[in-house]
Amino acid sequence: MLALIASLKKNKRLLLDLVGRDLRARYVGSSMGFFWSVIFPLVNLVVYMFVFSFVLEARWDEHQPKEVTALLMLAGIVVWQAFAESVSRSTNTLVENQNLIQKVVFPSEILPPYLVISALANMLIGVVITLLGVVFYAYIQPVEYASGTPANRILGLGPSLLALPLLMMLQALFTLGVGYFLATLNLFLRDVYHVMGVALTVFMFMTPIFYPAEKVLEAGMTWVLQINPMYWLIDSYRKILLWGDWPSPPIVGMFAIVAVLAFFAGSSFFQAQKPRFPDLL
Amino acid sequence: MARPHAQGAGTSAIFAKGLGKAYRMYDSPSKRFFELFAGGRKLHREFWAVRNVYLDIPHGATVGIIGENGAGKSSLLKLLTGITRPTEGELSVHGRVASLLELGAGFHPEFSGRDNIHLNCSILGMSEAEIAERFPKIVEFSELGDFIDRPVKTYSSGMYVRLGFSVAASVDPDILMIDEALSVGDEHFKGKCINRLNEFREQGKTTIFVSHDMGAVKSMCQHVVLLDRGEVLAQGNAESVADEYLKRAKARGNERLSAFNRGSSAYPRWGTGEIETLEVEMLDSAGGTTAVFQTNEPFRVRVRYRVHAPVKDPVFGLGIYRSDGSYVNGSNHHWREQPIRIEDAQPGEEGEVVMSFERMPLLQGAYFLTTFLYDHSKAAPTAIDHREHVCTFEVIDAARLQHGMLFLPTIWTLTRRRDGREERLESRS
Repeated sequence: MLALIASLKKNKRLLLDLVGRDLRARYVGSSMGFFWSVIFPLVNLVVYMFVFSFVLEARWDEHQPKEVTALLMLAGIVVWQAFAESVSRSTNTLVENQNLIQKVVFPSEILPPYLVISALANMLIGVVITLLGVVFYAYIQPVEYASGTPANRILGLGPSLLALPLLMMLQALFTLGVGYFLATLNLFLRDVYHVMGVALTVFMFMTPIFYPAEKVLEAGMTWVLQINPMYWLIDSYRKILLWGDWPSPPIVGMFAIVAVLAFFAGSSFFQAQKPRFPDLL
Repeated sequence: MARPHAQGAGTSAIFAKGLGKAYRMYDSPSKRFFELFAGGRKLHREFWAVRNVYLDIPHGATVGIIGENGAGKSSLLKLLTGITRPTEGELSVHGRVASLLELGAGFHPEFSGRDNIHLNCSILGMSEAEIAERFPKIVEFSELGDFIDRPVKTYSSGMYVRLGFSVAASVDPDILMIDEALSVGDEHFKGKCINRLNEFREQGKTTIFVSHDMGAVKSMCQHVVLLDRGEVLAQGNAESVADEYLKRAKARGNERLSAFNRGSSAYPRWGTGEIETLEVEMLDSAGGTTAVFQTNEPFRVRVRYRVHAPVKDPVFGLGIYRSDGSYVNGSNHHWREQPIRIEDAQPGEEGEVVMSFERMPLLQGAYFLTTFLYDHSKAAPTAIDHREHVCTFEVIDAARLQHGMLFLPTIWTLTRRRDGREERLESRS
């Protein structure tokens, strides 16, 4: 574990180079570059909005304005995508970079971190879009709420934004742990990468992103939420981004414990098998 | 096995003792996974790619590692560079190592040459300052010109390799390891690469050069390590190891080819059959049968025959072909300044025909023989026993003095005129 952190520190420059290269690679081949990273989340949002709130008529509650539903979904999608993208790319990253691992002395432990950092940097764009939306509908052109809407259900920003960096750090730790674990496992069982495509979709729909968590509670399936760290994470983000509330400390605390455990387990497995990587590829 | 350099491990650039690397072989991919939970139970077989290697390489030496394909050369090099870890034995490497196992590993096709140089340098472990300092030299060395700012995906394969070598050559290691990466690019660039290597040697740096080409290794290295099936068969000065290498290569070639030559030929054989050619043997200088020859060594082919029915004018001939089918030479005992004629072959007669030359003129490669037995009494000779591709042989050219298919005994003269005087230099061999 200490060796891993020391190596990340030592290879900081290479790590940042890889992140920079990755962020540019997303859009270098295209002419409109950065523009796309703004457009993609919006397009996604429109599609999901259309399917879930218009076609399937999923509602948070009867009186919630459409604009608020959209922002709730957006916040969820943005966080989920950063997680799903990091995990799925990490799973395949050792195989993808086998040229480096087999032909030069390469610190393979920086591969998952660079993917996670790159995904989080990209997520920030989505977070900013969400915040702009909240500012717009809260202060510039306030939406109309049904009478009797509780105060904590009214859009707004607050000092709780200060908790964002902490949340992102915990998210990074959790994602890294899962990424390290799956990257290593994929060398033993190449099917992992293919399974992950389906597994992530299932996981996404089990997480209340496009529907309110209350629906799950009503159905008496509370346990589904109780074992889902991604629900704790997304719920905390939403509290900060939409309502300006502080996330609930027990939930953040629980996520922190899970994140540290995941990181510890994943990176230990990775480090233990690392000497064998060139042989396993 | 003599110790090549009587120096202690402390002063060596590379010191290895009992070094071994085993790869795990699994019957099925899933066994690799289940072994994780097998609690130490082995679900694999071991394959020793390298075993029991002793090396003591002093600083500043140029060392060649040779061996046939699959002898463990690349596995050994990966151990020495630190890419893979040894399964057993000890290994110590003193100094910064750079390896050229593959040029341009890790280039990103979408990025410009400039960006890729930057990234590749940091993968090779250079600091920001070092990269800034070497950048202009790398660009200049690669001779890419304006292409340096275009995406690498637009490069020709030659340009790609040039960029890769330029980055690798800019690294300033104490120990450089090269895996036959030199056979790249055009002649001009190849020359530059060799210059760079010579420069490197002159600076007193250690070089490890891996190849299966004895000639190349001999010309570059004082000390040669010969690997065979993962073990060091011999090491020492280039001359003595080269001899051992040839002996091995001959034995190997013979083993392979004699089995092949014994088997009934799959190639066509036709003719009227009055005389039968029984066996075709290739003989070396000592008179033993062999299938591997050395350039400039005596070479003889012996064909035994038996007559089954009378023939007026039978003529034996021999054709030599290179493995790609090129017809190298054909001759018989009749079309000569002093022809030999057999005018009265009768049933019951047996004998042998020998074709020989004192010095095998063929250069390195695989060749095959076709025997002809034709009746020349008719206007157009007709086949009595024609055997296509009757046996295969290999030629090893250790000296590598000439290139191509044939060794030609050339004479070179050089006339120099300067200061009003004329000087004539001549080389007859």
